[in-house]
Amino acid sequence: MAPAPLLEVHPPNGPSNGEAPADQQKSQKQMTKQERRELQERQRAAKAAKTATGANGKPQGGKPANQPAAGGGAPSRKTADAASKLPSTGPAKTIEKAKAGQSSAADQLAKNQARGLLIFSHFGLPKPVSSAKGDIHPVIARTALQFSSFKITGANARCIATLTAFKTVIQDYVTPPNNTLSRHLMTYLSPQISHLVAARPMSVTMGNAIRQVKLDISGSDIDLPEQDAKDALCRKIDTYIRERIIIADQVIQETAGNKIKDDDVILTYARSSVVEKVLLEAHASGRKFSVIVVDSRPMLEGKRLLAMLSEAGIACTYVLLPALGSVIGEVSTVLVGAHSIHTNGAVYSRAGTALVAMMAKRHSVPVVVCCETYKFSETIQLDSFTKNELAPLGDLFSSFPNNKPRESLTLENKPNLEILNPLYDLTPPTCITAVVTEVGVIPPNSISSIPVALGRLL
Amino acid sequence: MSAVAQSTAFDIYATFQQFLKDDEISPPLAAILSLAEAIVKSNAGTMFELVQALNDGAEELKRRSQNPISLNAGCELFIAFVTLFPHEADNFAELKEELEQQGRKYATEAISFRDKIAELALGFIKDDAVILTHSYSRVVLKALLHAHKTKRISVYVTESRPRGLGLKTHDALTAAGIPCTLVLDSAVAYVMDRVDFVLVGSEAVVESGGLINYVGSNQMAIIAKAANKPFYALAESYKFHRLFPLSQYDLPTHNPNILSFPTPTGRSAGHSDAPSFATLDATTKGPVRSETSWSSAERAMSQEQIAKNPGVDYTRPDLISLVFSDVGILTPEGVSQYLVGMFAG
Repeated sequence: MAPAPLLEVHPPNGPSNGEAPADQQKSQKQMTKQERRELQERQRAAKAAKTATGANGKPQGGKPANQPAAGGGAPSRKTADAASKLPSTGPAKTIEKAKAGQSSAADQLAKNQARGLLIFSHFGLPKPVSSAKGDIHPVIARTALQFSSFKITGANARCIATLTAFKTVIQDYVTPPNNTLSRHLMTYLSPQISHLVAARPMSVTMGNAIRQVKLDISGSDIDLPEQDAKDALCRKIDTYIRERIIIADQVIQETAGNKIKDDDVILTYARSSVVEKVLLEAHASGRKFSVIVVDSRPMLEGKRLLAMLSEAGIACTYVLLPALGSVIGEVSTVLVGAHSIHTNGAVYSRAGTALVAMMAKRHSVPVVVCCETYKFSETIQLDSFTKNELAPLGDLFSSFPNNKPRESLTLENKPNLEILNPLYDLTPPTCITAVVTEVGVIPPNSISSIPVALGRLL
Repeated sequence: MSAVAQSTAFDIYATFQQFLKDDEISPPLAAILSLAEAIVKSNAGTMFELVQALNDGAEELKRRSQNPISLNAGCELFIAFVTLFPHEADNFAELKEELEQQGRKYATEAISFRDKIAELALGFIKDDAVILTHSYSRVVLKALLHAHKTKRISVYVTESRPRGLGLKTHDALTAAGIPCTLVLDSAVAYVMDRVDFVLVGSEAVVESGGLINYVGSNQMAIIAKAANKPFYALAESYKFHRLFPLSQYDLPTHNPNILSFPTPTGRSAGHSDAPSFATLDATTKGPVRSETSWSSAERAMSQEQIAKNPGVDYTRPDLISLVFSDVGILTPEGVSQYLVGMFAG
């Protein structure tokens, strides 16, 4: 594993392979594919180096920071899984810079400025949403802005917002002459989708929903008049939201609620919309239990959950993640939500969930994950850094205590300081006791049976 | 027993008891047979009413039985079957007849499940194997007797207090000529290193892939894991249950009385240790000696004390190596896949 972003001088392929630069001199045939690629990059970068040098200003959130940050992606490529795509090839000049920095003092300064995040940079830093390219519907633009400013967060919320925006787009859409709705609408939607993805990487829920929408579009009857076809599509979208999210949540509320008994102490992490519903429903049906809400910066989403629960009259305790060890001894069950769940049973959720699950397992506390089936992803994920998302820097999560000046707590990059804020992490299936879905309670090792169960239902 | 608020004089629990008299029939099968009879005796006119009546019957059985878990599995299986049964019959009465026949047919077939399982288990029993088993299980007995026909085996059986069912197994095995020794429940760890593998029956196999069986099975599984011995569970498919216990205390059989501490009474005159025993002498017929002297004579728990102990426990899926059933040899994960496939939708 690559070390934390230190600013020591390392040759880019130092951390894991430890190959001395001298090895690069061996013939092309003897080099591994990686090394050959590196060589190519370097040669390409050497040509581009002169023009690019000027662009290396102080690293800030935004385009310039993108280059050094992504440039750190090349060395981290060695540590990252082969599955991750190659980062942009442009700023490979920083590799060259890093190497040159060992020899030339003049480059040292530039190198320091160019040094970006060594890990996690292979998924790129969030960029501010650029002006709309092409024909972006205003509701999409608004949704994208809501995503990128984190006004709408959470897998379910984002998916519902996306689908609702699509409904408006579909209704406003007019088929150009000599075209059919079923074929042209998809090409029309593609730039809209890209715009949303540019705001924030697509969630698994959005992905599954969009795939379903595309399937419905391509299956729509050619002979239908346009308005009817559009109405049919909107109805299908409504059905999807209703069945896979709203009703699924109701079933999960009931099933998971049955696992809550009187005098239980339930621990939950950050804010999951499903867990919130489960707890409110269990309380409404008369069970007496108390809740410990564990929260963490920078998002501090747990505060919203805390407000909702205490308003309903549930006895709550609020702790930050570092205090988890002190409270875990009193917990009867841990209830968490998920962003997505994978075939191998691993749960991809808000960063910190894995810690909570592992700690609970250590203390023999059952961990129950509440997750609708549409969050199921056919992929297998083994660790938290092949796929993740970095939180943008700056004053986005206005969650500061009032007695401190805002500026003192805002996160921002400085010449010798890089901020690293992954938003998600992966909980391995061994730490999970049960996954509650609308098709039943499933042990994590059998998550791959969900498509079978769904196949029965559809 | 007089009928409870059922429309006819049909008492499902009495029927259930009747079926249980046959030693081959285990509680879930008896439940299925009683429910099958309930179908015919009921005067439901629609499917919905019928399912209602069956659910009520199942509730009644669960309420009156001491050990509802395996019973529950059988009931749920049958009710699911009834609900999903294709309605080809012209009128409802015929349908009810057909359902009842199917129920009986299933029960008869189910008896043969044990033979299937015994055959599957045979492949895992080597010659000269030393097997450890727990308490009394019809399917394990069948498997051992079947293996005895072609291989040499020796068996350790635990006593399984408080019901002492292990002695039943011991008698049956000895009568068949299998060398068998009774082992104290507390000596399982002592004997584990001598054993080749552990074979237990089941009350129910649950959705997580775990096992619910007589208390002591979890202990045995943990010790087997620590000693690196395989732990095999034998279970007929009608014992597969959609329950998902998160822990021991999440079982439906768990009640607040189990493992509860007594409310402290004042220390009355007498030995400081004796008060609890002294009062029990008067109230229970438990085999407690009236002199509270700590002599070498054996002592036993009173009924009240036994009532504070669980009857079944839950073994986690990671402790179980394989589950042998009539639908095949499954890993604990496979059990869940099977259950989801069977019951979903």
